[in-house]
Amino acid sequence: MLDLFDDYTLRTVALGSAALGITSGALGTFAVLRRQSLLGDAISHAALPGVAIAFLLTGSKAPLVLVAGAALAGFLGTLLVMGIVRTTRVKYDSALGIVLSVFFGFGLVLLTFIQRRPDASQAGLDRFLFGQAAGLLRRDLVTMAILGGIALGVMLLVWKELKLLAFDPDYGTSLGYPMRALDVLLTSLLVVAIVIGLQTVGVVLMAAMVIAPAAAARQWTDRLGLGALLAACFGALAGIVGTVLSTETERLPTGPTIVLCVTAIVLVSLLAAGRRGLIWRELRGRRDRRRLRLAAVLTDLYELERQHPEAHRGHSAAVLSVMSGGAQPSLEELERRGDVRRLGDDAWELTETGREKAET
Amino acid sequence: MTSGQIEIQLIAVVVAVACALPGTFLVLRRLSLVSDAISHSILLGIVLGFFVVGSVNSPLLLVGAALVGLATVVFVQLLQRTGLVKEDAAIGLVFPALFSIGVILISRYADGVHLDIDAVLLGELAFAPFDRIEFWGWDWGPTALVVMSVILAINIGAIAIFWKELKLSTFDPALAVALGFTPALVQYALMGLVSLTAVGAFDAVGSILVVALMIAPPAAAYLLTDSLPRLLLLAAAIGAASALAGYWLAYALDASIAGAMASMTGVAFLLAWLFAPGRGLLAAARRRARQKLEFAQTMLAIHLANHEGLPEAEEESRIDHLDRHLRWPPEFAQRIVRLAHRRGLVEADAGRLTLTQAGRELAADALAR
Amino acid sequence: MSQTPAVDVTDLTVAYGEKPVLWDVDLEVPPGVLMAIVGPNGAGKTTLIRTILGMVKPAAGQALVYGRPYEQQRRRVAYVPQRGSVDWDFPTSVLDVVLMGRYGRLGWIRRPGAADREAALVALEQVGMSELAGRQISQLSGGQQQRVFLARALVQHADVYFMDEPFQGVDATTERAIVELLRSLRSDGRTVVAVHHDLQTVTEYFDQVTLMNVRRIASGPVDEVFTEENLRRTYGGRAAVFGRNGA
Repeated sequence: MLDLFDDYTLRTVALGSAALGITSGALGTFAVLRRQSLLGDAISHAALPGVAIAFLLTGSKAPLVLVAGAALAGFLGTLLVMGIVRTTRVKYDSALGIVLSVFFGFGLVLLTFIQRRPDASQAGLDRFLFGQAAGLLRRDLVTMAILGGIALGVMLLVWKELKLLAFDPDYGTSLGYPMRALDVLLTSLLVVAIVIGLQTVGVVLMAAMVIAPAAAARQWTDRLGLGALLAACFGALAGIVGTVLSTETERLPTGPTIVLCVTAIVLVSLLAAGRRGLIWRELRGRRDRRRLRLAAVLTDLYELERQHPEAHRGHSAAVLSVMSGGAQPSLEELERRGDVRRLGDDAWELTETGREKAET
Repeated sequence: MTSGQIEIQLIAVVVAVACALPGTFLVLRRLSLVSDAISHSILLGIVLGFFVVGSVNSPLLLVGAALVGLATVVFVQLLQRTGLVKEDAAIGLVFPALFSIGVILISRYADGVHLDIDAVLLGELAFAPFDRIEFWGWDWGPTALVVMSVILAINIGAIAIFWKELKLSTFDPALAVALGFTPALVQYALMGLVSLTAVGAFDAVGSILVVALMIAPPAAAYLLTDSLPRLLLLAAAIGAASALAGYWLAYALDASIAGAMASMTGVAFLLAWLFAPGRGLLAAARRRARQKLEFAQTMLAIHLANHEGLPEAEEESRIDHLDRHLRWPPEFAQRIVRLAHRRGLVEADAGRLTLTQAGRELAADALAR
Repeated sequence: MSQTPAVDVTDLTVAYGEKPVLWDVDLEVPPGVLMAIVGPNGAGKTTLIRTILGMVKPAAGQALVYGRPYEQQRRRVAYVPQRGSVDWDFPTSVLDVVLMGRYGRLGWIRRPGAADREAALVALEQVGMSELAGRQISQLSGGQQQRVFLARALVQHADVYFMDEPFQGVDATTERAIVELLRSLRSDGRTVVAVHHDLQTVTEYFDQVTLMNVRRIASGPVDEVFTEENLRRTYGGRAAVFGRNGA
């Protein structure tokens, strides 16, 4: 399998997907914590006209140019969302919806407009819609790696300030930190993380790459730093696995495959992770309920014994069922544990150990 | 205008109005992004429906896809209820996954069938007049028009019938529960409408426009009125106008019709944002300018009243100290003093200000509020 | 003999739009006292603190800490916000939150070191939370949350402490502990200004009180100021007094 990675294209795409996964995973951790998950969705959709305008203005399709255009548009989108929320009674979710759909629609207008032009080299721009990982070139990879690296570097540099921003911005202000500026910085880092991934998974699906790795990581740890690290790993894992799968399988587009990989990681995490995992929760619940049932039957037997000290025939399951409901399976379990003894077909009594337990 | 063009515009208007109605309630209930989620995941519904039914043109397809839309909402709520994922993150986890499944299914199994990814996002309104419904030997018109008109009728009907419940559960869910209405039921009914509308509009205009039409016109209308019936009407009107304007823009630029319509809803919102009487940015700026002067005079009166009769009154009532105590630049201080004097609120005497009775009353009123 | 007041507010006026929240408020807090800020909901108590701390821009007036604007005195001031102002589901530990109190000292980029952890643990000791240093904050009770916030402020070794409803929603043990803490701060010569919600305990816990409702009604030693007359003026007649003044 390892010689898969000798394939130049596959290597490039896998590395690109990994870079995307790492950056969006790490920065997505902050976004999700600050309830800005869907802001990521809005930013990615808003980036589309930026790509088109960058091309229209410069005539170039160099990744840096297009990414810069995407970033500016995405950032403008965020400003508009905040502006709408601050100056009108329109709420955050509606502002996101407006910016998301209007910018995107405008982007489509520009794309189709470019398409009709005589130099019709719009092909290459619409890969930003759904992503076209297979089309990643070395220069794309370099751009992604450098920008992603810078974004991660800045994040690490002001880590404690970002933690403060996410947890208690008021307190941060009292300490003298410029929280507003930090907010802008963090949002900008998120924008960068998003735009470098657009070529790979596309505008529509990029939101998932910001949200899912972080949501999955949160299930495994209660520490912010570890969470960001895990999210980065999950993102990279989904990126690489998704890329390999889609290369090996026919007609499996890369973007959606990566998203399904990361979704699978989320599902596994939700079910199985640590103490919060749903599976463990269910098992714990069942164990607790069973314990309660056994204890109930045991105490009922004890009570019956006290009330009818002369009955040496034991008590029937039916009577016990009346007292605490469905006693048969519990009685069998108690028998297995040596707490009760079966005297006849349907007669049960406590053993010495059982009596001791019931007394406590 | 050709009849084809007329039909396209008719479809556009019907779609816009059909979207604006449930969209208004989405905006009011802070569920706008559910429209984004549903409009993406119904792709999966359409694909699955296609596998089951075998053709793209069946009404069963509509219903099936709408059910997937509802399922999206159910999944999101399930996720939220685990308590392990925040509300907004839940939405962003469900719809990309469903959408991805849909895209993959199309790529692998639906090749060669008229299910084009681009059409998913954009719809292809330009081709709508060519796909017609012929029934009982009669041309009923473009499929899209017929379907959307039926959906519009359903939307209007549902809103009319459940008016009380919708209104109450939107503005006071606690009271709705207390009165015995089931807000959850209303919620699901609303989601069903949204789903149905999104699926119906899908073919013609694609998913992005559905979001734009469901959110932007109602949001714009929200800045223009306080009454729910008028809100619905305005939303519908703004939506229709945006749709028409968008069509002509696309015609002029030879560009995507759906994209142009979405852009025009944005323009409509922008106009409302700037120019809404009372709530728009322009109105607010004008109001602030006016209030600043009035407010400053009231502040002056209160400042003087607070220190009246106290030992520091001498100090505090000096005109040239106003800039220190009230942090006013000298020219501004002079202006306010002049205005206050003209209104009969203060008397100036040897560089010191005294409150008149009117000024004292103004101060008392302001503080009593 | 007048010392520089710990906090000196003059003519402070804050309005949101046309709605006045603070009108021409004057306030002097001498150093080394425990001062309560009391008033009905919406009286501007939290806004007063936030304005002094520079989070809100006043329309008029100024606030000085030991004779100088707050920005120049950050090292000497600590802030304990309301418990409800943060999301306690945040993935972080008790110790981590207390360490935030050292950030001011560290400045940009530098991470907390061993000395900072030491200081944080000492502060946790002072509030009786040292065994819970590694605990996730989502697992804390209301009283424990409040203690964490207090420890975070203590670690700043400030001279003036601004607290917003520190006794709100805490259990009786924590309440007693907080009172003890405040008193030990006072005997150290430090000053505490606290928004307080419980009229019944004002006279017992605090030396001075400021009654306000958008503007300052009265301020000074508890015995003199916390009267039925003043309370009526503050609350519009809706308060019964159980203080040392009785009638």
